[in-house]
Amino acid sequence: MMDINPSSLDFTGYTPTWCAGCGNWGIGKGIELALKKQQLSPDRVIMLFDIGCSGNMNDFINAYAMHTLHGRALATAVGVKIANHKLPVLVTGGDGALYGEGGNHFLHACRGNHDLTVIVHDNSVYGLTTGQVSPTASKGKKSRSTPSGIIEQPVNPLLLALTQGATFVAQGFTAQLPQLAELITAGMQHKGLSIINVLQPCVTFNKENTYAYYIKNTYKLPEDHDKSNFSQALEQAQSVFKERFPLGILYETTRPTYQDELPQLASEALAERGRFEKSVSLLDNFK
Amino acid sequence: MMAKQQTAFLWKVGAPAGQGVMTTGLLFSKLCAQSGGNVFDYAEYPSLIQGGHNTYEVLCSTSPVNNRAWQVDYLVCLDKVTLETHEHRLRSGSIVLFDPAAGKISPTGDYTIIALPLKELLAELKANSIMANMIALGASWALVGGQRKKLETLIAEQFGKKGAEIVKLNQNCADRGFETIVGNTTTTITFPWHKPEKTPIVLGGNDAFSLAAAAADCRFYASYPMTPSSSVLATLAAWQKMTDMVVRHAEDEVGVVSEALGASFAGVRAAVGTSGGGFALMTESLSYAGIGEIPLVVFLSQRPGPATGLPTWTEQGDLLFACYAGHGEFPKIVLAPGDVTEMVVLTKQAFDLADIYQTPVLVLSDKFLSESRMVLDSEVVERELSTPPEYGKTIRQVDELPYLRYKNTDDGISPRLIPGTPGTHYQANSYEHLEDSHTTEDPEERSMQVEKRLRKQATYLSNHWQMPSIEGSLERAEYIFVTWGSSKLVVSQARDMMDQPTAHIHFTHVYPMDREKVAALFAPNRHYVLVENNATGQFGTLLRSEAGVDIKHSIRKYDGRAFYSEEILAALESA
Repeated sequence: MMDINPSSLDFTGYTPTWCAGCGNWGIGKGIELALKKQQLSPDRVIMLFDIGCSGNMNDFINAYAMHTLHGRALATAVGVKIANHKLPVLVTGGDGALYGEGGNHFLHACRGNHDLTVIVHDNSVYGLTTGQVSPTASKGKKSRSTPSGIIEQPVNPLLLALTQGATFVAQGFTAQLPQLAELITAGMQHKGLSIINVLQPCVTFNKENTYAYYIKNTYKLPEDHDKSNFSQALEQAQSVFKERFPLGILYETTRPTYQDELPQLASEALAERGRFEKSVSLLDNFK
Repeated sequence: MMAKQQTAFLWKVGAPAGQGVMTTGLLFSKLCAQSGGNVFDYAEYPSLIQGGHNTYEVLCSTSPVNNRAWQVDYLVCLDKVTLETHEHRLRSGSIVLFDPAAGKISPTGDYTIIALPLKELLAELKANSIMANMIALGASWALVGGQRKKLETLIAEQFGKKGAEIVKLNQNCADRGFETIVGNTTTTITFPWHKPEKTPIVLGGNDAFSLAAAAADCRFYASYPMTPSSSVLATLAAWQKMTDMVVRHAEDEVGVVSEALGASFAGVRAAVGTSGGGFALMTESLSYAGIGEIPLVVFLSQRPGPATGLPTWTEQGDLLFACYAGHGEFPKIVLAPGDVTEMVVLTKQAFDLADIYQTPVLVLSDKFLSESRMVLDSEVVERELSTPPEYGKTIRQVDELPYLRYKNTDDGISPRLIPGTPGTHYQANSYEHLEDSHTTEDPEERSMQVEKRLRKQATYLSNHWQMPSIEGSLERAEYIFVTWGSSKLVVSQARDMMDQPTAHIHFTHVYPMDREKVAALFAPNRHYVLVENNATGQFGTLLRSEAGVDIKHSIRKYDGRAFYSEEILAALESA
């Protein structure tokens, strides 16, 4: 057993069990850097971990956290944020969790503009279940669950987030750590739903989307990209269809968050205010 | 001829959906309650918005009533189908209000038909066809000898928000209906109407859950509409400005329960409401609440399944599903109120138990209990609503570091820290975990946590589980009825109608149960009769497995309708 003091206010938890070279290392580091840069501490942030190799980060980063069920981290985070909107809430999960098992929650979280930061580990495979295709796998990709190649075309996470109403949409690459940390910081600073899709090689089960592949196929958004321009964002997001992956903030706009629209949360956090004590007066509705 | 004195009557109105039956019924029920009658009312309707056949019945009595009755004394037919559908429940002397313009009928029974020329009156009043319901309301109120002015004031209260013109039109229609009947002394009755000392409270099961949730400090309620639970969502949503509860209509039931668990983890009391199909979707998360030790209240209002089943009808068909829901082994508490007052009490308790035992607590209702309404003792309700909640071992500061979220304790309950408390952190882990909440696969740590969680069940059984209530003498009874949930009502009523000595054992804390204490209630030489609104006798199965008690005689009904006491008597006779 590792000697870890659970009340330590350092973000560093257990030593990760990810494979050597796994893209999760970079994302984990990027999150830690972003949290430190914002001078947060493990008692001032709530993290939600989905299930999968990415979700195993629950033991590697210290914070108030929920290690939820598969696909449910985002929906669970919606409840967390409503109950305590004063704390930053960070969701991390894989492409299978966010775009597959929890796809419906994804659509509706975008619509609601809940004030959450969602980091998607996009490696096109299910690593923890030994390499089946994920929703972002390229058409024709062969895997244990699709021996003749996947028939469906891949989900386009950026277009999906943009068209469903996310107010911050970015893409990072695990091997470009400084930029990734900046994107996560910017996403957390943004008020509203921030989606950060992070390209991440699975060195064990994905021999196609490798570091070399992403170095070749990613590009920095042009200098003159206007992140407040929805049409430009849509255009950049479509380059994914041509196997070109933009890196940076594609889109950022301001819209009242779900929490902003709730008068109940105008002052104190729901979890911190006094109890409603006038229930007897509600009986007037039944006289 | 003199008007007859009457101490109880059953009034029923029927029409296609969209004809205002619900409003007519509700207003008639209010008229009776506000004029000193004890009412029990219930609506039945198909899963349709237009067409079909909707009914609303009101049983009104000088003494408290808590169930329906079979015989219909007044049948108000806004169409021909109403008479054809309910004619078999009329007795000799029943009165039927019917518009001859609605079609030719061939009455088969010895009841009185009073012509109520709705079409003609509507034309005279220049009123829209839906206003036939107001004419019928006025006519009904005259038939039972109600005070004419009461109609006017209630309609003003009910439609006030819609403007003076609408109020006036409704009042005119109702008054015209009243006038049509009032001269007809051969058919009216006198009921001892009086102004009650205190304005009576009329509550249904869903109303009771909503009130008690607000009183229990529930701050987050999430739901996806599903009959018969939907009115809780509507009620709590309508109260948000006053209660400051956040009420969420989420994308699906999986989202609903996930959000509630998130809110609960973050420090607020949270509940979800649904029916069987929606609950099926929630069961995976119920299991997370079990291992993560996250408090959760689930309001499960049953309707007949399987699958979509009979969406707007009633059944006690999800008991075993509720008790055994969720994969893996973890403690769970299932409470089943038998009437509206019990719904208030047990809902309040459910929120306390969820916090005390940090595990899911289910409150079982069914369409019949959820939607039937009755006059309640307001003092009992007010006292219950005013009792402050108990939060168990919920803490907002730590005295000792390291803080162990899943600390192994004698009672199985570990102090639960509200996240955001400075100086520490922990996770609500869906994986098996160490005391400090980190993931583990260590066999000893695993066994310790399993045992710790299950110990909460033993603690519950000794500290909070309640024995069934017992009415009558178990020693002298010829029949001992056994019920859980809403079949309580029909059995109390049936016992009143029986000459033989009977007793009644009614369970509210249905799962888990104390094996020895329950078994001790059952003697080998007595005649027990289990009454359940389902086909397979699920509580009988539960009693066999949880208490080793095997009840041989059971009365079951599974046609989507609640029992009538007459059916209980008939079933005993034919046994």
